[in-house]
Amino acid sequence: MAHVSIIFFWIAFLLYGGAFALFIYYLLTRRPAMNSLGLALVAAGLACHTAAVLLRGLDAGRVPAVGAYESLSLAAWSIVVVYLVLELFTRIKAIGLYVMPVVLVLLTLALVGYKAPAGLMPALRSDIVVLHVIVMFSAIGCLYVAGGAAIIYLIEEALLRRRRAGGVLGRLPSLGALEKLVYHATLLGLPFLTMGMLAGVIRAEAFVVPHWWVDPMVLLSLGAWAVYVVLLWGRIRADWVGSRIAWLAVTGLVVLFVIRFAAVPYLSGFHTYGG
Amino acid sequence: MLVVVTGISHKTASLELRERLALDEAGALRVAQELLSSGTATESVALSTCNRTELYLYGRDSLAARQAAVERLARHAGCSVGELEPSLYSYSGDAAIAHLFRVTSSLDSMVVGEAQIVAQMKGAYQAACEGGCTSVVFNRLFRHALEVGKRVRTETAIGERPVSVSSAAVELALQVFGSFKDHTVLIVGAGETSELTATHLKAHGIERILVANRTLDTSMELARRVDGRAVRFEDLEEHLAAADIVISSTSAPHYVITREVVERSLKRRRHRPIFFIDIAVPRDLDPEINRVRNAYLYDIDDLQHVVEHNRHEREKEAQHAERIVEQELAAINDWLRSLEVVPTIATLRETVEQIRQAELERLGHKLSDLTDEQRAQVEMLTASIVNKILHTPTVKMKEVAGRQDCYLYVDAVRTLFDLSGNGEVPRAGGNGAAPEEPTEVPEAPPAVSETPAEPAPGGATVHQLRGTGTDDA
Repeated sequence: MAHVSIIFFWIAFLLYGGAFALFIYYLLTRRPAMNSLGLALVAAGLACHTAAVLLRGLDAGRVPAVGAYESLSLAAWSIVVVYLVLELFTRIKAIGLYVMPVVLVLLTLALVGYKAPAGLMPALRSDIVVLHVIVMFSAIGCLYVAGGAAIIYLIEEALLRRRRAGGVLGRLPSLGALEKLVYHATLLGLPFLTMGMLAGVIRAEAFVVPHWWVDPMVLLSLGAWAVYVVLLWGRIRADWVGSRIAWLAVTGLVVLFVIRFAAVPYLSGFHTYGG
Repeated sequence: MLVVVTGISHKTASLELRERLALDEAGALRVAQELLSSGTATESVALSTCNRTELYLYGRDSLAARQAAVERLARHAGCSVGELEPSLYSYSGDAAIAHLFRVTSSLDSMVVGEAQIVAQMKGAYQAACEGGCTSVVFNRLFRHALEVGKRVRTETAIGERPVSVSSAAVELALQVFGSFKDHTVLIVGAGETSELTATHLKAHGIERILVANRTLDTSMELARRVDGRAVRFEDLEEHLAAADIVISSTSAPHYVITREVVERSLKRRRHRPIFFIDIAVPRDLDPEINRVRNAYLYDIDDLQHVVEHNRHEREKEAQHAERIVEQELAAINDWLRSLEVVPTIATLRETVEQIRQAELERLGHKLSDLTDEQRAQVEMLTASIVNKILHTPTVKMKEVAGRQDCYLYVDAVRTLFDLSGNGEVPRAGGNGAAPEEPTEVPEAPPAVSETPAEPAPGGATVHQLRGTGTDDA
């Protein structure tokens, strides 16, 4: 079973890679067929990825979110899901350009950290931990996509302003569409983040984790949460548009990266799933 | 049988002549039908757009078909054949099909990559089809051509980039706003390009158009034409706050809109972006505007730059499209070749002979008891049955080979016996004629080479009429 899971994982990895190559090719040549083909590859990759995650979960007999391999693979999976859903609903092209490299990097890191499924330490065997993990990964999927759209927004805006638009004209989504995408993805992601954090707090309180509130990961998450709240507030109440929203989304993304790649492996006291 | 096309286009004829030769839908159908009833062709399609009028014919004698088409066109234009001849181009066989594919892919268009031609070609074909002017060959050929047009459009970026100043401006504005739902455009000063741009914007769904000019009469006039609203030039700043797109083309010697004005307007519109297009020379809009957050400014030079870049890119894509046309030409040629009588007879015989051999082989062990003589007799018997059965169809097909509509029989035979090959298997001698066949079928149309008396103007080369080399012999 473990073999089958890793084979599916590899197939998904290759399909995502192929899709990324096609997205780049589309950007360079603008041939409409390339983008559709790329999307088809992503969809096929997601199917294999889903199989890999499910098999891994069956193999381990729990939610496959423990250890670097599982957690990174699951994060990549949720990003692809959010990306595909947004792409289908908004028909905004070129998000794949940002999303695919992130997914590929996460999967590579996952492979590097591959370990056979381990048993769960007793402290983590709890329904609320499962909820916490699932909700957090949903939030990460949404917020990574928002960050990706924001990066494309900033690049495109700079190109437009420098009159270098000839190259990207019509290939990248419009500024308006990207800004909406950032907004919608954040609107979707923030409630998940809030729920996930609440679940974490409840769990920490219930099991009397000492000084959980000074854990770097908890503090950083709170910081990210604040950034996204400001973003939504600015967009809804103060009519901020454009680059300010985009910069906030990028800031949030940076914090999320710090959490995942600095806080989890090196700083956090009790979020020991990472590695 | 050959496909022949003859006509005029923007490359070979003046606008004046194109106007005289233009056909409306009913006229096009009438011309197509007349050419059929004249007997020189079995299928015909007439295409007429503002840039070209051309007739596609399928007939045995390509020269006669072309002649009839030219005479018909001359009659329509009210001039002599001699007057028309220098502006005409004619192709036959492969060249004609390649031309059809190139036209449908908009490679032959005035603006390479423009999208209208596919619909126009489709309309022309459908009209001809409904009017009973097309049959096996043109139905397949024109559908294939439309597919080629579609393939070129999706596999190359030939139609993806705007190549005029006004459409480039619209494209840029779209890059900012995504769509023009609930957006407002403000036209400052009345000029041709700004009117054109406004029309483009309207086609893309913009609803509100405001026109501000120093003389109110001119604004009202322009507002009427573009279905907008004239506003007072003095209230420019106020309207700026409502405008998402500003097109400026006044003849003012100084800046009409300055950075400070834009900053104030943006504040009033809560920093929703404004896209400025400055078409005027000298410029109307302060270049500093581009430094304001959420304001984007493009002047005429920037736009021309974009257009230039896009033209260049389209040319590159056109080369890719030419390769697609070549591939598709090979594909359709395989099929066309299969519609010839002699190779079909050969394929039919080959197929039946294969069946006979296979059956004999299947019985091999049962026949092994026979003496050599008996086996030879079985061999002869079966061969004789096959020959007898095939005799009549062979003779009949050779009879119809001389007729214009012979390919319909060929198509039927190919369908009934499921002969999918293109007749190349049994081909001997390389010219499609099996050597043992008596040559009672009519002679092939001569591989004609007709060069017009004088070269056509406009640098267009009139290709020689030439056969595919595989016409049914």
